[in-house]
Amino acid sequence: MGVIREYLKSAISSIRNNKGRSLLTMLGIIIGIAAVLAVLVIGDGLRAAVTGEMSALDVATINVSLDVAKTDKCFTPENMEAIERNMSCIYGLSPSVSLYGNGKGTKKSYNLSFSGGSDALSENGQNKILYGRYFTRDDVNAANYVCVISQISAMKLFGYENAVGETIEITNGDITKDFTVVGIRENTSMDESYAEGEDPSLQGDVPYTTVALAYNKDVNTMFTKVTAYMHKDNKDEAAAKMKSVVENVLGIRGESAVKVDASSGMDSTSDTILNVVTAVVALIASISLLVGGIGVMNIMTVSVTERTREIGIRKSLGARTSSILTQFLAEAAILTFLGGIIGIILGLTLARIACAMVDFPYTVNPVLVIVVVFISTGIGLFFGIYPAKRAAKLDPIEALRAE
Amino acid sequence: MKKLVVIKDVSKIYNPGENEVRALNHVSLTIGEREFVAIIGQSGSGKSTLMNMLGCLDTPTSGKYYLHGQDVSHMTDDEQSDIRNKEIGFIFQGFNLIQSLTALENVELPLIYRGVGKKERDRLANAALNSVGLEKRKTHKPNEMSGGQQQRVAIARAIAQAPPILLADEPTGNLDSASSKEIMKIIKRLYSEGRTVIIITHDPGIAQQAKRIITISDGMIKSDIINPDYKED
Repeated sequence: MGVIREYLKSAISSIRNNKGRSLLTMLGIIIGIAAVLAVLVIGDGLRAAVTGEMSALDVATINVSLDVAKTDKCFTPENMEAIERNMSCIYGLSPSVSLYGNGKGTKKSYNLSFSGGSDALSENGQNKILYGRYFTRDDVNAANYVCVISQISAMKLFGYENAVGETIEITNGDITKDFTVVGIRENTSMDESYAEGEDPSLQGDVPYTTVALAYNKDVNTMFTKVTAYMHKDNKDEAAAKMKSVVENVLGIRGESAVKVDASSGMDSTSDTILNVVTAVVALIASISLLVGGIGVMNIMTVSVTERTREIGIRKSLGARTSSILTQFLAEAAILTFLGGIIGIILGLTLARIACAMVDFPYTVNPVLVIVVVFISTGIGLFFGIYPAKRAAKLDPIEALRAE
Repeated sequence: MKKLVVIKDVSKIYNPGENEVRALNHVSLTIGEREFVAIIGQSGSGKSTLMNMLGCLDTPTSGKYYLHGQDVSHMTDDEQSDIRNKEIGFIFQGFNLIQSLTALENVELPLIYRGVGKKERDRLANAALNSVGLEKRKTHKPNEMSGGQQQRVAIARAIAQAPPILLADEPTGNLDSASSKEIMKIIKRLYSEGRTVIIITHDPGIAQQAKRIITISDGMIKSDIINPDYKED
């Protein structure tokens, strides 16, 4: 151990004696490491920025669809309940249907664009109930004419927020139905943008069964798509089980009629583009590291030639082949280690500035930094082998004769 | 007197074949413990080859070399390194100090290769530098010292780990006469303290100061005499 320390000390003093040259040699490593690290950190930031809004919620979703070309089965209230019973890891399933029409409140009439779904829709993370309650499974099963509307919808229709118990008369074509308001939910940015402007349409949620009933449609043949809601920690488990559970419950065999889409908010195209950009920059960076490594090999070879006499002296004093080898390997490794450290500082600084400029979150995975340190040191060890071997194999007599 | 160096019928041939050079031609030589030997010869006489051989820097083409009773004529590089480290202290004409290291660090080198711990190394290196009168130059680098001082650092390095043999190759060759006298005085003192000293030189003035003088020419030993003019200081 003590001997290794001596080699390190001697390597550091040798680097210090050749500051300018050492820095130039390190440049390739510095640039390569800085580039690869900056790109990885900025890429992480981009990913986090895109998926950030989704992951801010505790709720995750999985979309399940049936391929109508391969099966004529549909999602029904019964089989959806059966799927829910088989998957305790999810909050529930909800199909999706829209209810359009003209809504008449006590104050004024407006165009409506209501979402029909199950009570599981209450879990979508954006429905914070301010007054009253969300509609329940009983409301869904009974197809009750109830609805939950946004704050701004209540203001527009009734002139006050707590409109629980009020009735909206909804007309679509020649069908007119009265819906009782059972709950008022907090506005989302969508509610506000839809409710203002030239052609406002108010937002709210109703049971899908009620929509079917109002339009006189068969709820058992309406849906080939449902969305499952779950806590985000359960998403992987749910995604893994979903396909087989749906196939079993619906009695679909063999053909891949059930499609499970568990992708996050980031769409796969931009993810692919990001991956390609990362790969290209990583490739360029590794070429830079390769060139940097060859630079280290070059300068170490020069150093061995310059220090032939020193090597001869050391050998005459009893240095073994391995001692000389270790000394020069240590020198090359320290050179690239220092280059790696400078590259990390530079790369993280660049990433920090870039992330701040485009407003990405800046997070650094410490494992990545440690890996980079090991890689840069490894480059020195690898490219140091050739010159170090040359040094170690020198004949002491000839080496002592060198000028 | 115990035998320290035994060379039996050693030859060293360079470029074997038509243009071969016999640097050493069937040389036999015995040097005992606590001897003070000068090997004198002109350049090309084979004295450098003999010195490399004695210093375990080179191996003979034929013949045997026993050092301390151990056959060292056919050793691997690493085994030779260990023998040099343990048995031989080199003093070179050109001092051969490492320029980037201080006097103390230079003296510590053979101790590092010996695997001596930091504390003990410090003690031994300091003692060696003190014994050549360089107490005040320990942190100086070679280029901050005179030739005489540099050679004294080299001597300190050679004796730091107490090898039985001091092998000096033209130790005064690069020095003015005052420094030469000083260095020879130190070398003689080291002999009188119980070390075996072998000086390789072409200078009869230096050789005359040794107790035994071996003359080498054309790769062969021409004479091997006890110096009648030797006087203890």
